[in-house]
Amino acid sequence: MKISIDWLKELVQIKDLDEVIHLLPLRTIGTKEITEQFIELDMKGYNRSDLLSIRGIAREVAAITDSKINFVELTDDQFFWVKKSLGSTPVSIKDEELCIVQAVAKIEGLKVEHSNDIWVKKLSESGMRSINNIADITNLVMLEYGHPLHAFDGSTVKDETINVRRAKEGEQITTLDGKLRKLTNEDLVLADTEKALDVAGVMGGKNTEVKKTTSTILLSASLFNPIMVRQTSNRLKLRSEASRRFYHGLTKKRLFQALDAAIRMYLSIGGKLTSLTIVGESDDQVKKIPLSLKKVNDLIGIELDKVQVEDYLIKLNFELRPEKNAEREIAWVVTPPYYRLDIEIEEDLVEEVARMYGYERIKPHKLSGKLPEKIDQSLFSLISKLKTTLVDLGLTEVQTYSFYSTKVFNALGFNDESKKVLIKLENPMSSETEYLRMNLWPNLLEVIDKNIRENNLRDIAIFEIGKIFYINKEGKQNEKYVLSVALMNNTDNPLAELFVMYQKLNKQLKLGIENTKVSEEGAKKLGLFHPNRIIQLIRKNKAIGDLGEVHKRVTDKIGINQRVAILEIGIPKFLI
Amino acid sequence: MAVEEKLKKIQKIYIEKINSASSLKDLDEVFLKLFGKSGEITLLPKDFSRLSKEELKKVGPIFNEVKQSLEQAVEKKRDEIREGGYKKLEQEKLDLVDSGHTGLARMTGGHLHPLTAFENEIVKLFSRLGFQLFEAPQVDSDYYNFESLNIHKEHPARDLWDTLFIDKYNLPKNSDRLLLRTHTSNAQVRIMKQFKPPIRMMVLDRCFRYENLDARHEHTFDQFELVYVDKGLSMANLQYLSEYFLKSVLGKDVEVRMRPKYYPFVEPGVGIDGTCIFCKGKGCKVCGNLGWLELGGAGMIHPQVLKNGGINPEIYSGIAWGPGLERILMLKHGIEDLRLFRSGDLEFLKKF
Repeated sequence: MKISIDWLKELVQIKDLDEVIHLLPLRTIGTKEITEQFIELDMKGYNRSDLLSIRGIAREVAAITDSKINFVELTDDQFFWVKKSLGSTPVSIKDEELCIVQAVAKIEGLKVEHSNDIWVKKLSESGMRSINNIADITNLVMLEYGHPLHAFDGSTVKDETINVRRAKEGEQITTLDGKLRKLTNEDLVLADTEKALDVAGVMGGKNTEVKKTTSTILLSASLFNPIMVRQTSNRLKLRSEASRRFYHGLTKKRLFQALDAAIRMYLSIGGKLTSLTIVGESDDQVKKIPLSLKKVNDLIGIELDKVQVEDYLIKLNFELRPEKNAEREIAWVVTPPYYRLDIEIEEDLVEEVARMYGYERIKPHKLSGKLPEKIDQSLFSLISKLKTTLVDLGLTEVQTYSFYSTKVFNALGFNDESKKVLIKLENPMSSETEYLRMNLWPNLLEVIDKNIRENNLRDIAIFEIGKIFYINKEGKQNEKYVLSVALMNNTDNPLAELFVMYQKLNKQLKLGIENTKVSEEGAKKLGLFHPNRIIQLIRKNKAIGDLGEVHKRVTDKIGINQRVAILEIGIPKFLI
Repeated sequence: MAVEEKLKKIQKIYIEKINSASSLKDLDEVFLKLFGKSGEITLLPKDFSRLSKEELKKVGPIFNEVKQSLEQAVEKKRDEIREGGYKKLEQEKLDLVDSGHTGLARMTGGHLHPLTAFENEIVKLFSRLGFQLFEAPQVDSDYYNFESLNIHKEHPARDLWDTLFIDKYNLPKNSDRLLLRTHTSNAQVRIMKQFKPPIRMMVLDRCFRYENLDARHEHTFDQFELVYVDKGLSMANLQYLSEYFLKSVLGKDVEVRMRPKYYPFVEPGVGIDGTCIFCKGKGCKVCGNLGWLELGGAGMIHPQVLKNGGINPEIYSGIAWGPGLERILMLKHGIEDLRLFRSGDLEFLKKF
């Protein structure tokens, strides 16, 4: 979110801009780009919707730099429409769970023109472009108050009616970006008596867009269910500045502030407010959360006193009422400011105190307490021993991706039936990452090929220990650690040398592996190995792997001109 | 000669040559004569400039058809010759008598992968503090990877993780949604369900996310996760653990600081910075002139997550901590391209 520095300065008295730039990431949120015009906040995945408004940022800056706020929030009796006799337009909410408040203001006598320079500058410094005076007001208000508004061209809304209802299954609307959207009845729309006008919380329709001839608008301000907006936005893959703000939840208070501010701005460009209709009764929730001084100090690991905690929270506009808790310790009942929808539990309050104190000031405390009981670490120590021994035997450890590249997949000769044992990705980045590997040695062949071509190596001895994946006989996903060794030594019979290495490994680590020759039929079935040069490995009467020369058919498909021998054994069976 | 006739003649002559090739070498020569720089098929389109639009419309598809049939014939013959060669393998015997050949590599000794070496270092470091290793699945359920960590479906925080999902086409229809784990945090609730406090566990393993590969972005990365649950744990302990780790790995001069950050499974949540080792904190291109580098996320385990693990948050608190390893290694060794870790490039691996 880009914050215009000049605009921010209008809302909070900044004594030292450098101090603000320095403190924001330490007290509030990380920053991305900073220029002379704007400060960009890193809002990715963040849970604070109050930071999506310049007023919200202004409040943060005021709290963390001890500065004065330059604005006053209007109270309910101070809004523009109070005590004015106004008409009304037909407005209804058909689904109260999905739409909590819907307000529509009719403003007449407008003339679409370029916005004045100040508005254009504010928008551009905030990373938005100026469209025209009518549309710009909605964006300026959204930026300042964090509440999205939408202006419908009054002449295109049939019967001037706005009904908030679920979309009909398959209902279509062309959104402002020109794309045709198909909706389901999980989506909410604003509609007139004929058609849908707006995908609620996400984007307005093109059919009611403000155009050069617009003179009357229906200004819409709503409070939607955030989960509905997220679902619709995800399903349509449509993110907008509006939907971002609705995701985190908005408040009725801000809705009215934004509506009031917008109306006043429309008046300033010659408009006249002729009607206002507000539907929806519920008020913003007021939370009361208990907080104890002990919890604050215990969780952060510092020693604050009562006054310090109160001071920090009051600066952030929290209200505290002292109330000793059940253990008769110093405690309060805390009410967060209405715009902090992210504050729900005691730990959230502790975080507020901690960040005002300054995380970077927290001194380290050594760990204390009893050590836990020792648990079985044999898998890890076996893997570690295998790696060390193989390195001592002269092999280099590699790591490859958990996927089969298309080259490897094709070389292994999977068909539509045999590939069903593989675990497949639903949304791979490309065909190179579609299938999870069910053995390791094919990827090692790719490594050998790469090193022959790029590094001109004529002798390659490598290994990898990693997980392989497959669907087992019961149809369930399965994964296990596997060791694979690959050897290419520029001879016609690399298996001979690999066999010696395997024997050394077996002996040094007392792995207890025995080898038997694979029957001729068995080898032919395997197809991926040399028909005569394949050995089956057995331990405690169970098959645990293979040792053999890779069939030339496979190495040819990978592009290797040399003979390669491999060893592959499953690791878990060694722990029995 | 008309182009069409020319094409048919080439096809006839070369199909015969292809079919009578007896070795891959012969076949390669025929291939070159057709498709090489001065190959007959390569040069033919030059004749097309003489043709009228009408003629081109006719000749075009014939040209493509001939080209394709020749390519396929070459491929088919290649496979045939190869299969013939493969048959010869059956005459080779199993011979395990090593002629005493010890490759160059074996004389000079092998190398441990830099990530393994780093992980061994970390395990040693934290074993001293009583931490033990734990293994969690790499293919996991949405529940353990997200829901149990307070990361609900549709939650905007899911933006932080671009998830790779498993296709259920060969799995039971009613099975849970499966994915490739996006962080080692899928171990947290598993650990808490299996062990009662005091808990000191570490997970060092592979994670995945939807990402297109380039020098600074990877879809496969290793993460180091600490799960520490006991009475009276605080952010001050987290500061201690961060310093303990980073000073040991990056040098005693490294300063460590925590900053506010949001993750749904910790509260308070922190980002951990270390002094930029390149400019020693003065500010440079690598650290964007901040003097600090972002090294990982951490925090006090959210009470809901503790509850999901069957642990009472009124009595116990927890610390969760998870830096990505490649990033720290890249800083430590000045490695510029993330892809080198899994490229299998032996020239790179031999340096460690």
